Amino acid sequence: MDNYLEVKNLSKSFDSFQLHNISFTLPKGYIMGLIGPNGSGKTTTIKLILNMLKRNGGEVKIMGLDNIADEQKAKSEMGVVFDTNYFSDEWQVTQVEKSISAFYPNWNTQRFAEILRKFHMAPNRKVKELSKGMQMKLMLACAFSYDAKLLILDEPTSGLDPVSRDELLQILSEYIEDGEHSVLFSTHITGDLERVADYITYISYGELFFSGSKDEFVDMFRIVKGGRDELSEDLKVKAVSFRTFPTGFEALVKTEDIGGFSDLSIEPATIDEIVVFTSKKGDDYE
Amino acid sequence: MSNILKATKLDFSLVKPYIKVICFTMLLPIAFAAINRSLLTGISFAMSFIAMTTGYTFSITEKNSMERLFGILPVRKSELVIGRYVFVLALGVIALVISLIIHPLVLRALGEKVGTSDVISAALSGLFLFTLYTVFQIPGYYKYGSIKGRVFMYIPVAGFLVTLLIISKMPSIGVSVIATIGSSPVLLVILVITLIIVMYAVSIWFSIWIMKNKEV
Repeated sequence: MDNYLEVKNLSKSFDSFQLHNISFTLPKGYIMGLIGPNGSGKTTTIKLILNMLKRNGGEVKIMGLDNIADEQKAKSEMGVVFDTNYFSDEWQVTQVEKSISAFYPNWNTQRFAEILRKFHMAPNRKVKELSKGMQMKLMLACAFSYDAKLLILDEPTSGLDPVSRDELLQILSEYIEDGEHSVLFSTHITGDLERVADYITYISYGELFFSGSKDEFVDMFRIVKGGRDELSEDLKVKAVSFRTFPTGFEALVKTEDIGGFSDLSIEPATIDEIVVFTSKKGDDYE
Repeated sequence: MSNILKATKLDFSLVKPYIKVICFTMLLPIAFAAINRSLLTGISFAMSFIAMTTGYTFSITEKNSMERLFGILPVRKSELVIGRYVFVLALGVIALVISLIIHPLVLRALGEKVGTSDVISAALSGLFLFTLYTVFQIPGYYKYGSIKGRVFMYIPVAGFLVTLLIISKMPSIGVSVIATIGSSPVLLVILVITLIIVMYAVSIWFSIWIMKNKEV
């Protein structure tokens, strides 16, 4: 099994929003970042993968299993972490294990205890007494205890302090180390992806903008900077988007188009810059 | 363990922290039984009160956004629904058994006579009432959530009033059929149990249909 997740032409229509033909593939042993502005369709895509929403078209395969026809089997191989806790806040950590371990034949109690120790989590603490970062770790601990091969995280770092975010990224890096696990990681904090992601899938307002390796994504664009008087008409046409300041301008330009602007300052673009500029495409601003 | 029993166990663990509150709910009907000197009244109140607590699982699920947990567990939606019905029915049966032990003891202590036929008729009435409330409530909770769905609890009350109206205007043949069923304890037991099974089967079918079409 080379691909742990295959999404093909996935579509979903709501009254005010449409997700169109989203396709991407997550190979075994890698981390993929699912990015896009708020409301672009990241969570919808994840819910469609989990069959929590009914799709209008397309196909999803999880470790080669259809996400609807083989839903139970596929879900037993998958761990999911949402932006907020999904356990009863009255449960103690040990009760979380008692309540959900029965659903997973591969659940390893000893491993759960080890992970709790590693995460410095007291087993007798109630879920509501845990910080947001610790609640996120508890969801991860559960997924690790049944050796989920595919981990799906929906905005796990939103609301986390920098220390907790750093810890999470470290955990994810360790999780894929053996080459047998994969992670789909939805976020709008793209700085996290610069550090851990191997692949990027970028959804912009319901449309797939890009899916491929992170390096390829970052290499597609350059940031061109200069004084206000250096912003030529040719650059305005070729730029994906640009913004002007009292002191100058910044423009996102496709790497293949930067040839004519070698006299200006050209820098590599960050994921954040690409997302910001491409989201403003056709709507240049000052 | 089957997935249905696992789902039932999960529901129990949701309600476990609130067991004391549920037990407290059962105290008031004892007072009703003592004041009215009637086992039937006490058991009917007890089962009506317990039926109200079946919304706990839905409230806790909603409060903690646990529909997301249910959405990622490797079980079918139908198994989760049936598991919840098993839990609700188990809660009802346990409450009924406890009430059938405590209420007669209290009534006897007050000098009332409680015979086997009283216990059987109270048990049947209690179970029927509990069924009547829950078969409407649970699909209501699944469809509209734990707050709006509560209104479905009043359907049996409305149904009861409509039934009284129908009986009063029923031709004599219908009344005599009811009288015949009422006079034969075996027929009554069979009828009540059959009704309970049919009502739960229809209710479960509705709830599964609602859940299969629901998007989280």
